[in-house]
Amino acid sequence: MVGRPLTEAELVERARRGDQDAYGELVHAYQGIAFRTAYLLTGNAADAEDAAQDAFVKAFYALGRFRRGAELRPWLLRIVANEARNRRRSAGRRGNLALRAAAAIPSGGAAPSPETSVLDAERSSTLLEAVNGLRDEEREVVACRYFLELSEEEAAETLGLRKGTVKSRLSRGLAHLRERLEVDDV
Amino acid sequence: MSELELALARLGGEVDYPEAPDLVGPVRRRLAEGRRPMAWRRPFVIALAALLVAVAAVMAVPQARSQILDWFGIGSVTIRYVDDLPKVEKTQEDLALGERVSLADARERAQFGIEVPTIEGLEDPDVYQGRLGQVSFLYGSEEDPRLLITQIIGTGALEKLLSQETTVERVRVGPAEGAWLEGGEHVLFFPSTGPESQRLVGNTLLLQREDGVTVRIEADISKREAVRIFRSMR
Repeated sequence: MVGRPLTEAELVERARRGDQDAYGELVHAYQGIAFRTAYLLTGNAADAEDAAQDAFVKAFYALGRFRRGAELRPWLLRIVANEARNRRRSAGRRGNLALRAAAAIPSGGAAPSPETSVLDAERSSTLLEAVNGLRDEEREVVACRYFLELSEEEAAETLGLRKGTVKSRLSRGLAHLRERLEVDDV
Repeated sequence: MSELELALARLGGEVDYPEAPDLVGPVRRRLAEGRRPMAWRRPFVIALAALLVAVAAVMAVPQARSQILDWFGIGSVTIRYVDDLPKVEKTQEDLALGERVSLADARERAQFGIEVPTIEGLEDPDVYQGRLGQVSFLYGSEEDPRLLITQIIGTGALEKLLSQETTVERVRVGPAEGAWLEGGEHVLFFPSTGPESQRLVGNTLLLQREDGVTVRIEADISKREAVRIFRSMR
């Protein structure tokens, strides 16, 4: 007989009691977004991997202080973000994000003309360059909201900010992007 | 959602993320190895919180008191040099900062004016109100503290024990006077409340403001950076 899969809350409870198998399942579930979060903050794959790994180890030992009933994802991502920021500060710089080679080719639907593909790629490249040029505090909230698709509450928890601060930094970041792009709207 | 926001959301799918590594194995291996001393692994950490069971006993025994070489006070903090710091017998990660509160609540309850650093780029801290009315700003998290700023009013509320390796430099920032403690290990504890709040700390800037409030800025940062943070407090 196959038992039902454990819920996240059950996995957390088991992990809290020292069950490393249960914690392994949680790591498996969140390692993707943890790595992407760390990568967006550091811009460096090796630093992102180290940050995410260290964060998961620290989180395991800190589970006793995780509030029952709270959302696990933003709690974990906050630890990841702290690790990533530490590494970024140690390195003294962050790497720039790049576009996938095939980014301009949409999946499904009719294939765009070569001219359309080139224009799309140029637009994406220009926009990403503008995002890379933002100050860290603005780029972080932009990346959390739009690249990681976190809600404002989750972005605030992840970055250790108040929701109002996330809103204001987001607003400033978008304004700066518009200035850089020299258009009212992309 | 504006066109720009839609474009950013689309762009998120086009970012060239490196292939995500499988972290399950490495994390499980590290957990199986057991805990390493955190202080050796974190460059920006305040240093690990530590429970120093032996400290209370040392301070209570007259012979041990005779080993105290020198002391001086800065506002709420009495600093004592000792021959040997008590041995760290076990560790805890709870920074014992007290209750998490909003800044507005802390301001309402505090018996003094709470000042907040205004350095650009410094995120909003978690605010705690603890014993003896101490207000703490924690940057990072309790799991991974990067900077801790505390404000407290009163005399002799806290004690610091310093080893001979710790250097103490007198510091004056405007009307505020105090000291910069760097290197070696030093131990902070509340003599009135027992050993649960004893912990090792990193480099520390200790200054008493004109209004009598003692400000502690603890982190693995330089004196210059700590002074810059202090100057920005409004």
